[in-house]
Formats: sequence, C-alpha cells, structure tokens
Amino acid sequence: MRIILQNLTKTFPSRNKKSNEEVVAVKDLDFEIPDGKLIGLLGPSGCGKSTTLYMICGLQKPTSGRIFFGDNDVTSLEPEHRGVGLVFQNYALYPHLTVKQNILFPLQNLKGADKLTKEEMLDRAQKAADLVQIGELMDRKPSELSGGQQQRVAIARALVKTPRVLLLDEPLSNLDARLRLQTREEIKRIQRETKVTTVFVTHDQEEAMSISDMIVVMKEGVVQQIGQPQNVYDDPDNLFVAQFLGTPPINTFDGVVAGGTLFIGDDAVLDVPASVPDGPVSVGIRPEGFIPDENGRFSGKLVNIEVMGRDCSVVFTNDSSRKPNVRAIVDSDIQIIRGADNTVRFDLKKNKVFIFNAETGERIRFDDSDKSVRV
Amino acid sequence: MNNAVTIKKQKKPKAVKDNFESSSNFKAWLYLSPALILLIIFSFYPLINTFRMAFLNGYNGLAIVGGEKFTIGIENFKTVINYVDFKLCLKNTLLLCVVTVPISTTLALLIAVALNSIKPLQKFLQTVFFLPYVTNSIAIGMVFNAMFTRVGLGDLIQTQGIINNIIGIFGIEPINFVNVGSSWGANMFVVCTYIIWNAIPFKILVLLGGLQNVNKQYYEAAKIDGTSKIRTFFRITIPLVSPMLAYVIITSFIGGFKEYSSIVGIFGDGMGPGSNGQMNTLVGYVYNMLPKSNSGNASAASLILFGIILIVTAINGYVSKKKVHY
Amino acid sequence: MAEFNNAVKEVNVESVKASQRTSKIIRYTITYLFLGIMAIIVIFPFYWMIISSFKTMDEYRANVPTLWPQNFVFENFTTAFSKANLLDLFKHTLYVGLVSTVLSLIVTILSAFAFARLNFKGKNLVFGLLMATMMVPGELYTITNYLTVSGRLPFISEPVEAFDITNTFAVLIFPMLVSVFYIYLLRQTFMQIPNELYLAAKVDGTSDFKYLWKVMLPLSVSTIITITILKMMGAWNAYIWPRLVANDAAHQLITNGLRGASFTDEFGETNYPAQMAAVTIVSIPLFLVFVFLRKYIMRGVSRSGIKG
Repeated sequence: MRIILQNLTKTFPSRNKKSNEEVVAVKDLDFEIPDGKLIGLLGPSGCGKSTTLYMICGLQKPTSGRIFFGDNDVTSLEPEHRGVGLVFQNYALYPHLTVKQNILFPLQNLKGADKLTKEEMLDRAQKAADLVQIGELMDRKPSELSGGQQQRVAIARALVKTPRVLLLDEPLSNLDARLRLQTREEIKRIQRETKVTTVFVTHDQEEAMSISDMIVVMKEGVVQQIGQPQNVYDDPDNLFVAQFLGTPPINTFDGVVAGGTLFIGDDAVLDVPASVPDGPVSVGIRPEGFIPDENGRFSGKLVNIEVMGRDCSVVFTNDSSRKPNVRAIVDSDIQIIRGADNTVRFDLKKNKVFIFNAETGERIRFDDSDKSVRV
Repeated sequence: MNNAVTIKKQKKPKAVKDNFESSSNFKAWLYLSPALILLIIFSFYPLINTFRMAFLNGYNGLAIVGGEKFTIGIENFKTVINYVDFKLCLKNTLLLCVVTVPISTTLALLIAVALNSIKPLQKFLQTVFFLPYVTNSIAIGMVFNAMFTRVGLGDLIQTQGIINNIIGIFGIEPINFVNVGSSWGANMFVVCTYIIWNAIPFKILVLLGGLQNVNKQYYEAAKIDGTSKIRTFFRITIPLVSPMLAYVIITSFIGGFKEYSSIVGIFGDGMGPGSNGQMNTLVGYVYNMLPKSNSGNASAASLILFGIILIVTAINGYVSKKKVHY
Repeated sequence: MAEFNNAVKEVNVESVKASQRTSKIIRYTITYLFLGIMAIIVIFPFYWMIISSFKTMDEYRANVPTLWPQNFVFENFTTAFSKANLLDLFKHTLYVGLVSTVLSLIVTILSAFAFARLNFKGKNLVFGLLMATMMVPGELYTITNYLTVSGRLPFISEPVEAFDITNTFAVLIFPMLVSVFYIYLLRQTFMQIPNELYLAAKVDGTSDFKYLWKVMLPLSVSTIITITILKMMGAWNAYIWPRLVANDAAHQLITNGLRGASFTDEFGETNYPAQMAAVTIVSIPLFLVFVFLRKYIMRGVSRSGIKG
C-alpha cells in the first residue's frame, strides 16, 4: 500500500496557558512512501517523527493536510478502519492475556463477512507467531517474556490481521545493545517476507541506515531530506543531515571559499569550481575522507591514535574545527608520519567533503561528477 | 557517644547500627508504652475476654454471682442462633449486602468509566460525585427519612414525601416507605438506596484512580485493532482494574456486614418504623444485648459476625486470586 | 507468507466517516446523560436538606412539593439550635475532638517513630500483632470495653464504682485513642525519610527526640494533617460508642444529640424544616472539610477503605 502525505501539519495548543502560541509538531510534510518498502523516520527527539507515525495510524488527527492510503483519502478515518498495525515503543501487550490471547485479540474483533472461525483464527495466530519465531511461547504471559520476545509478540499481534501498513514506534529503544542488533535484522527479515509497507520511527541513525529502504530525516517538524540511506549519507542536503548521519560523526570546520579554492585556516585544502561563490562557508569532512600524506594540503596537530583492528582512528586538532578534536578513520596499515610539533598532514577525498552555506546550512554543491561515485 | 561510634566502627562496619540497637531497646519500649498500654486494655484484653465470655454459658458480665460459677460451653451460641431476632438480623444483613454490593459496585464502575472518557466538565462532575464521601451517616440518614416519609395520618395526609411525589409522576401509587405500619420490603428498599448512595463515592474514587493509571497505549492498541467499545470494556478495562474492583468489593462486603448507623439514621435506634426493630442488623443485635447484661450472648453474636466476615474475606480472596489478573 | 500481504479490501471511506460521526455523537450523548442523571441523584438529598431547612412547616407539608422555598425562613435554624441544644453539643464535640486528637497524635508519633527508626527485640512481632488487630471488627472490642468502663472487671463479682467512668469525657477519649491504622500510616511516611539523615544526626550527637521533633515531623506534616482531620471527623461522626457510655446531657456528642433530639411540636408533629436545619448545620463543617481539605482525607481513606 502506497502512502501519500500531503502538506501534513500538526499543531498542539501551547503548554504555557498564558501564551496563545501553538506548538508546531509537524510542518507541511509532503512525501510519498512507496508500496512494500521499509521506511525509517529519523530525527532527534521532539522532531515530530512520532507525531507523524501517529497521524498515519490515525490516533492523532492532522491540523491540516491529507493522508492517502493508495487512492483512498483516510485523513479523517478512525484507526480501526485504516487497516494498520502499530507496534508501540513499550509494546503495550495486554498484561492479563497470554501470548496466544494477545495475538488472537485483533482477529476476535472482526465482524460480519470478515469473521473467522475459531480454527482459522488459531491457524493465523500460529502462523504469525511462527513468523516472528515465538511459536513455542504461546501460553506464557507477557511478564514471563524477555524484552526481545515481547517485541516479537507485539509484531505478531500487529501482523496477524494482515495490515496494509505496519508501523513501529522506536522498536528497538527498549532492548539492550546485543538484542538490538539481532532484532533489527529480524525486522528486516519479517518485512521482506511479508512485503508489507512498514514505517518505523527511530532517533538512532545507525539503526535507520542499516535496515531502511528509504529514510526520512526530520528536524523540528520539518523534513530535511528523503532518500536511500546511502544516498542521504553521501549527498546530504544540509549541515544538519550531514551531522546527524554517520558514526563517528562528520567533522565540521569554519572555512572560506576564495577564487576557486576552499581554505580551512591557512590551508588551501581543495579546489572548487568557480560556481561556488566566494565567502565564509561551513565545511563538513567525513572521518573516512582523510588520506594521510606527508605532503597533504590539510594539517593538524596529532593528539592520539586509536587502533581498532582493521581501522585506526587518528585524533588531531585543527584551529578551525568546531569541535575540540577532529577524527579521521584510516586503514591501520598506513603509516602516520608525524612532522615537527606533532603535525600530521592529509589529503582529502573530494566526495567526502561537503560545503554548506555558513548561515543557512544549505549544501553548496560543487561537483556534479561525484554523484556518479554513488553506489 | 561519638567516641564509642568511631571505636566500634573500626572493628566492623555494622557497628554503628549495633550501637544504636543496644541503647534504643529500652527507649523504643518507652516510646511504644502509651500506645501499648492503651491497646492492651482496650484491644488485646477485650479480644481475649470476648472469647472467654462467649464460651461461658449464660455469662452476664460479672465473674460470679452468689458463688455460682459459669460453665464452659456453647450455650450462648445456641441461644443466639435460635433467637428469632437474630435470624431476622442475619437475614437483613445478608440481604442488604447481597443487594447493595453488586449494585453500588456496578454503578460506581460505570460512573468511573464514563468520567474517565470525557473531557469537558470532568473535574466538576468528579467533585459532585465525591460529595457524599464525607458525610455524617446519621445526619444524612435523617434526610433520607425525610425524603421518604409522609406527614399526617390516614385521610389527613398532607404530603406523601418528595420521593412519593416523584414516583407519582410516573403514575405509581404512594408507598408507605418508612412510616409506622410500613412493610419490611419498603423499609429494605429505603435502606439499600441509602447504603448504595453512600457507598458510591469511595468506589468511584478508587476505581477512577485505577482507570487513570491504566496505560493509555492499551486503549490505543485496541483502537487500532478495531476493538468495539463494549469488548474493550470487558476484555481490557475490567481485567486491568480488577485489583481495585476486588478491593472495593471486599471492603464493601465487610462494611455491609457491619452496617448499623445508616439504619439508625433512617429509623432511629429502634431499628425500624415505630421502633419495631424489623430492620435490625447483626451489629445492632450485638448492641441491643449489651445494656441487658447479656454479655455472653453479645460476645457469641459478635464472634459469629467476625466469623462471617472472615469467611467472606477468604472467599473474596480466593475468587480474586483466580480472577484478578496481576 | 503471502497471506500477510495486503489482503485487505478497500473501504467505502465516505460511509464509514458518516457512521463514525453519528456513533461518536450518540456515545457522548449517552455518557453525559448518564452522568447528569447520576449527578442529580447524588446531589438531590443535599439539595432537599438545604431547601427544606428554609421552608415553613406549611410549605414543607404542602401536597404539591416546591423545589424552591416560596419565602426563605431562617427561624428553623434558631429552632434547631434550641431544640437540639446544638451549642452544647458543639462544645462537647469540639472538646472531645481536640483533646483526643492531640493525645492521639502524641501516642501515634512516638509509636510510629519507634517502629520506623529504632531497632529493638520483638519489633516485628509487636508490629505484626498490631497489624492483625486491624482485621478485627470493632464490635468485638466494644462488648468488653463497655463492661470495663462501667466498672465490671473480670473476676470481681460486683461492679466497682471507682472504675465506673461512664458519662465522663474520659470514656469518650481514651478507649478510642490509639489507632493502629494511624500508626501504620505515619510509620510509612517516616520510613520514606532516608536513613542517612538519621545516621548523620546521630553522628552529630543529635538526640532521638530532637531528631524526631526537628527533622521527621516537619517532613511528615501532610500525614499529620490527614490524621488530625480523620480524628476530628471521628469525633464529629461518632455515634455507637458515645450512645452506649456517655449519652447524658452533660457529655452528649453532636451526632447522638442530633439523632436523639425531639423535633416534635406541641401537636405531636415532627418539625421537619427544623430537623433539616439541624442536619444542615451538622453537615456544614464536613462540607467545608471536603471542599478545602479533600486531598488529605483521600490520602488516608483510599488506603484504608474506612469511610471518614
């Protein structure tokens, strides 16, 4: 089921009773979720991603704008008529019912022509449970399950009624680190097997990048960028997106463009086309964008080298950096050559360097050719 | 003192606590003594004495009269159980429990759920429903009497009472609810009405508290699954507030078995129209025995009451263990 | 797993929307109607009590009842005061209420402190015994207590005059002084105060008593207020015990006085407006407590299930 969000806006009355200002949770959302894909809504907390999810499932009504499921306008439709399955952040499993009863619950609601016989219900519940691999836990109560198992039950309960859309609210946030890795693969697998259009919300960029077919990066209720994870990572539209995606995070610098050259401090680090206007800019360089080279154009003072097996992380300072330290990830085979006063020098990979408008943070694209580098 | 602490502390870490313990043993009993002395005189001794008196045949509150000794036995219990009044009291008490507990619990649950589902006027209505919570049951019992009573006799009846006036609107003939000559059934109706009215606020308070503590996401999950309101109520709401329901039911059963002052409020301590005692309860029976120096019978009756309460509590506990979900 | 793939049929959006709206309207109408009717039923006795207290006898007895007094008569209240002797009853009740509250607080605070903060041999046993008494209905105690206060002691064949304290204020105060529930309530509050505070005070050489007075009580004010209100209301609503042991004119408490007062006039007819005025007067303090101090009562009562 294709989902179309059209100029979706949601405002809440201000919490401060004295001011009449409204809080804008989501502003002018306008995008399309293709059928059968896994989409991650990504952003820091309070960016409106959960509100968006709740509007898609119908628990919250948009202040303005429209929502389409396929060709149907479902904007004012109650949740039960939308055919969505929602997995809550804390799973919301009914504590007094067993796993089986929890999964059967949505099926027992079906009325009229949709009504199932007892055998059909049990059969479907068992299939859903098997799909999420909890088939043998059917008679337990939720309190007797681990966090990961509860998560699976919640997904089974959402899937058992064959929803048109599966929605997951921060599905991994209540799990410990090890389970998180395992569960996100699991979600991907389940989505692939069922081919149900799935939207999930997360503040963890790694999580979103690793399993989504498409990510929607949001900030303060406004969509920043939409695209395949790798594309968004390689070609961010603005400084926020560049900073939000990637571990370790992108290094940011104050730079100046003058006469076709990008300067960071006194170093003329990169040649840029004349189309880039002269003036101060923000520069983002991915940690993997540094190539150690004793004659390199970019310099810094070495602080520390952290070896992490295959890679090593070179930590150095640079006067124009916005953070105290700059971090470069390089192959651990490469010899780092220290100059006088611990100076280290690098060359930069052009496609890992992004220039942004110093005030608005908008990307200033300077080399169309590197789009071809994309995977 | 400080010295002692530091020295002992070096020996073992637990020493701080130990040191206080030894010095506070005496102090603790000193602090407890006023409460303990009063409790021994007015609670522990009476508890034992009640058992003693109940099993002394025909005991009248004095140890020995004219050198005669009381024999030990269950005569008092036999007397009490065979007493016509006792049977009436037991019947009244059981009936008003069986009638009022389910009705007031159901009404309170419905009101609490309704209150929980609305936004405008919620706070106002909440206050209204809690209003009978803090009342003097004798005083308001007198108001109920006034509402149900008719003034005047025979042809000279001046007003049938406001309740008769109201049911008259629906074409029902005036009923003699509480005046002299009124029937047992009519009296029971008034008593039950009053007890239900009086019991509802506490139950709403507890149940509403329970409802407000239920995680909203259960309802959102149910809504997304298209669960009907009725099914949500029976399959989600009731199980999730079942601990509060059990609590309310147990306390109101116990309260029902100890019912006395509501009836005094309506009928006076004659416990019935014209003091005929037809509305008397178990507790009323115990108190009637007292001034008549029937301590043995009164003790036996109160132990029977205690026994009934224990049984009801045990049954409730057993049922809720099976039905209350967590 | 094809069966999970979008097998849902399309819905007719417009008709669903319309039925959604009507069912919502119906639901809200029923909810408010139900709450409204129940609210009227709950309020009505209070309403009837108050308006009746302002009516004349003739209007009260009118064949067709009036829902609003034709003209307000305040004379019922003065009648109530004189017929039920309300002023004396107020005084007695206030005296018993205040004295028993103060004494009860002292006893409760001392015991709660011992249970919450001191370690002594047999603490759990004594506390368990006390808790067990909460299960026992008061009627079991009343029988023996009635004998005790009227001087009929065990193993003595004649009533002892010297121990007969019926018809005194003391008999209204002491037998009911200790409430295990209040001790439990205050102990719970005390236990929430971190133990480190006590140890710190001990290291500084603060005496137990000073610590109790300067640290624990100020931190437990709201529970103390709860106990005070419940105790005062106890005196105000007490009926059974006072009727048994101190029902004479010099010691009668308000509820007994109200129930026992005769509002019958010289023709043998009950003066209902005056009676309702008396009931109103007795109810007003409770009403004020409810309006202003509700949260303190609810704190205590919802834990005990004992009605105020």
